[in-house]
Parts: sequence; structure tokens; C-alpha cells
Amino acid sequence: MTWLAWRQFRMQAVVAAATLAVFAVVFAATGPHLASLYAASGLSGCRGGRCQHLANNFLGQLGGTYGVLWTLAVAIILLAPAVIGLFWGAPLIARERETGTAALAWNQSITRTRWLAVKLTVGGLGAMALTEVLSVMQAWWAAPIGRALGYGGGAAGTLSQGRFSALVFASHGITPLGYAAFAFTLGVTAGALIRRTLPAMAVTLAIFAALQIVVPLWVRPHFFPARQAVVSVASLQEISLTQGGLDGSSFTLHAMNIPGQPADWLLSSGSVNAAGQLVSTTPAACTAPSTEDGPNFLPCLASHGIRETITYQPASRFWAFQWTETAIYLVLALALAGSCFRQVSRRRT
Amino acid sequence: MTAVIESEGLGKRYRRLWALTECTLSVPAGRVVGLVGPNGAGKTTLLSLASGMLAPTTGTIEVLGGRPGAGPGQLARVGYLAQNAPVYAELSVSDHLKLGARLNPGWDAALAADRMKHLDLDPGRKAGTLSGGQRAQLALTLAVAKRPELLLLDEPVASLDPLARREFLQDLMEAVAEQQVSVVLSSHLISDLERVCDYLIVLVGSRVRVAGPVEELLASHHLLSGPRRDPATLPAGQQVISASHTDVQTTLLVRTAGPVLDPAWTVSGVTMEDLVLAYMSQAGLGRGRRHLEAQR
Repeated sequence: MTWLAWRQFRMQAVVAAATLAVFAVVFAATGPHLASLYAASGLSGCRGGRCQHLANNFLGQLGGTYGVLWTLAVAIILLAPAVIGLFWGAPLIARERETGTAALAWNQSITRTRWLAVKLTVGGLGAMALTEVLSVMQAWWAAPIGRALGYGGGAAGTLSQGRFSALVFASHGITPLGYAAFAFTLGVTAGALIRRTLPAMAVTLAIFAALQIVVPLWVRPHFFPARQAVVSVASLQEISLTQGGLDGSSFTLHAMNIPGQPADWLLSSGSVNAAGQLVSTTPAACTAPSTEDGPNFLPCLASHGIRETITYQPASRFWAFQWTETAIYLVLALALAGSCFRQVSRRRT
Repeated sequence: MTAVIESEGLGKRYRRLWALTECTLSVPAGRVVGLVGPNGAGKTTLLSLASGMLAPTTGTIEVLGGRPGAGPGQLARVGYLAQNAPVYAELSVSDHLKLGARLNPGWDAALAADRMKHLDLDPGRKAGTLSGGQRAQLALTLAVAKRPELLLLDEPVASLDPLARREFLQDLMEAVAEQQVSVVLSSHLISDLERVCDYLIVLVGSRVRVAGPVEELLASHHLLSGPRRDPATLPAGQQVISASHTDVQTTLLVRTAGPVLDPAWTVSGVTMEDLVLAYMSQAGLGRGRRHLEAQR
């Protein structure tokens, strides 16, 4: 049975190998240069506030090419599970049903259960291995960028995304493996239920895409109870500030990161008064032209007892989040695989 | 002789439509069984139930004494050629043989190779490029070379031209003679079955109308023709299967164990075709009319 599973998997395996080869060639060609730039940047062995400056220099130096490469690689890693679900998973049973070859396969001297077990193992392990290897290759290549970000560099731009940003979290660590296993079994299940390849592909894509939007936005932040920090507004480094109303009588202030802890995952932030209540009214003293804008506004707010409260997940929880998310997707994949077995052993046309 | 297929009150329903009802059969071993009936009569359903592709809605079915499709042992004993002879279009002929060899412990490689040579199939050719006849032959090879005790063939010649049809059936009979395998073969064309079958099952409107050895069936059915008369006046032992009347003449096909003694009748034998057609039209008269009435 393993022979048949491999034989039918040949085309997919060739595409997978080609993708891996392209990754390997591109990264092998550009990786050493990236590493040498990092070595020359003086970041290794830097101390104190200089580091952020050096990191910004280094990231700025990388220019467009590395940004584009980084984005492309991440995009491919993110898309790989979906493509696997569509083109490996969905046709696995649906195509056999459509062409009637299920009747051929299931009337050899081998049970349907065994047939499916081998098919799921070959496809599932292949899917997990492919995405994880892609992710590891990219992580190796982009390691200098990650280190520079750790020093607080990258005020803006593609390369400034921290480890908790949706794109990086989903393309690094072990999550790609979980997504691949899930998308593959999702495709197989959809195909087993719908029995037609194209609709099964559509359903697979819709469900997987929906989850990839819903989980990062509404589920992932709640894996562990968030922490809260109250910091002086004067200490904020990156902010988004809007002033409105007559004579600048109201304001909204959001921190973009936590002072001194750039790698933490900031979930939300808001300004509070001395009593701890959210405020949006600018203290009258701060509406004067001299303090209304520019560098004086935040110190003025601070001097009137306004502070920033920040809800966040500490950077140290990165792997706990990775394991949790991967475990959730793997459990879903196992459940889907179970339902495939039930579908296949049901004897209906 | 033991039965290859033994069914009791077997029925299969798709949603609200019964594809097969109250099917009680006992098909003896060592026969070539023709399963005949119009399209949609339930032939495919019966064969799917026997191969284990389907589970029955009601009743039971045993094939070679076991539950259809239960476990590798049972699967190895039954060869099933599904309708339209499905093969993997992207795999080559030799890939298919390799598939058969890998998935069947009882695979007869010599037999498969022999058939390939005899059929003159290029082993490197993709199955998707084969003609309908070649595809059917390839699929039959897979089913035969696993050395089953029972071969279930669902409309194996439906897509073949008359010449390929004859060759396929001839070929099948050779394989049957060599291996002493029981065969159930379905078709909606009696002419396909006439030459090869020694046992007949007529399936019409989801019901088994008649089943038995061909010789017995031909011996117990007679075609009677004579002056016009009401079929109800026949002796008790004579069961009318079909009747047609002109103004002056009546023609009946009757089933009876004993001889027909009434001198008013001209008695002649029946062919398999007469027999099958009579049972098909009987179904049309009986159930069909009731259906119409029910619809009004």
C-alpha cells in the first residue's frame, strides 16, 4: 500500500521538492551576505542605548531586496498549508470517488482503514515536513534580522515585525507544522464528505482562511491571561496620538510598544488618570499652544497625572504560545482524521 | 454445493427510493450467473452489496460465507469489477499490475503477464489513453489475477463495441474455465449473457423476478399459442408470465412443472430472450400500473 500511496503522491512530491530547492538556492545565495552585514554592523557585543541605533542602521542598510525576499518567503510559508490542503488533501478521497477508482482501490485485498491510514500518513507527514523545513530555512536565513529586532531596531517597515506579529508567529517556530497537518486533514475530510474535488477545495480554503483570520485576532490573545503594566506617558517611545475637539480638548493615545520591552506582544493600551479611569479629555493646561503639540504634550499629560495602561503578553511566553497554537491545530487534525476513517468505512455509494 | 451469494430479505434504500427490495437469493458455486434487468433495476446495487461497497438497509447478505468487504481475507476472495471499469488514468498499465501485486497476497503474476501479452497492451501506456475495451480488459486482469473465488462484474461489456464485447466474454470464459471461479455478471442486454451464463437472475423494478439454472428455467417455461381465451381458465399448475392477445389468438408464456396437455395450444420452447422479456413486461404490467394509479 505504501508503494501505491507514494506512486500517487509523486507529482505532489516533485512540486514540494522544487519549492524546497528554490528556497535553498535563494537563501544559500543571499544568507552569507546578510550574515556578513550583521557582523559588520557592530551589533554583536554592543551595549546599552547604542544597540538600538546600530540595529536601526543595520535594518535600514538591508534595503528593499531583503525586505521583498523576507515577505515572499513568509508568504510562501503561510500559503503552503492552504495549498497542501487544496491540492493534496481535498482530492485524496474526492478524486477517487469522482473517477470511480475508489471501487478499484477498495476491492484489493486491503481494508479501507489501512488504505486511508497509509494515505494519511504519507500525505500528512509530507505536509508537515515540507512546511516545517521551509520555515526553518527561512528562520535560519532571517536570524540576523530577528536579532536586530531584539535590540529594538526597526521603527517601521516590513522587517520591523516582532515575533508575535501575525505574520511572523504563523511562519516561524512550530506553528507551520500544525497548520499543515490541519489543512491537509481538513481537505481530506471535506473531500470524503462532499465527494467532489472542486467544491471540497473551496470548502477547505474557506474554512482554513477563516481560521487564519479568527485565531490570531480573537483566540490567540487569550491563550494565557494577559499582563497589565502602567507606565508614564512621558516614557513612551512609539505612539499613535490623535488630538481632536475644539482647541484640542480631547486626545487618544496608544502605545505602539512597551518602553524597554520591545519584544512583548502589546494587545491594547489606553490613557488613565490618577484614579485609574480611562481618560480622553485633555487637561486644560495642556491645550495651550506651547504644550499642545510637539515634544511638550506628553510631559504635560504626565505632569497632570495621566499615565498609560498597557495590556500585553510577555515575550518570554513566545514558545508557550507556539506550543498551544500548534497543539490546538494538531488536535483538530486528529479529530478530522478520525472523521475521515468514519466516512470511509461507511458503506454508501 | 455451497452458495456463493446467500441473501435473505435484502434491501437497499437511497434516501426515499428503494433500489433493491426483498431480495432472497441463493446462488450456487461454480456457476456463471447472468444478472439481467433494465437500467435502474438494481443490478449495480446488488453487486455493490455483494462486494461490500454498500451496506444493506434491510436483510442480510453473505458472500462465500462471510460478510462482504469484512477484512482483507474476505476482500481477497472476491474480485469486483465496478461499472465503467475504473482505472487510474495517470498510472501506466504496468503500474496497475504492480498495484495488484502489492495489494493482493494471492496475486498471480504469471497469469497477469500472460493476459497482458495476449491482449497486446503496452505496459508503459497510461491507463487514461486506453480504449474502453482495453480499460475493461485491464480492470478485469486486476480482478482475475488476485485469484478470487468469486468474480463480480458490473456491466463489464456495456462500453464495448460488438467485436470487443465478444472478445471480452470469450476471454472471460477462458479465465473462468482455467481457474474454476464463480462469476456473477450483470448486463441489460440478454444477448451478452446468452452465450456465457448457466444461471440467470432477472431483476426488474428493484425486485428479483426469477432466478435459477438456465436449463431448468428453459425447461419449465413454455410458449403457448391458440384460439383466443382468458388466461384465468388455465389449470392451477400453470403460471402465466406474460400474455398477448389479438382478435382471434392468444399467446401465453407460462411456467409449469408438468407438461402442457391441452390440445388447443400449440406448445413451443422458449429462448432466454423470450423468458427475460416476459418477466420484464410482467413487471411493467403489474407494478407499473399500480404506480400510475397511485400517482393519480
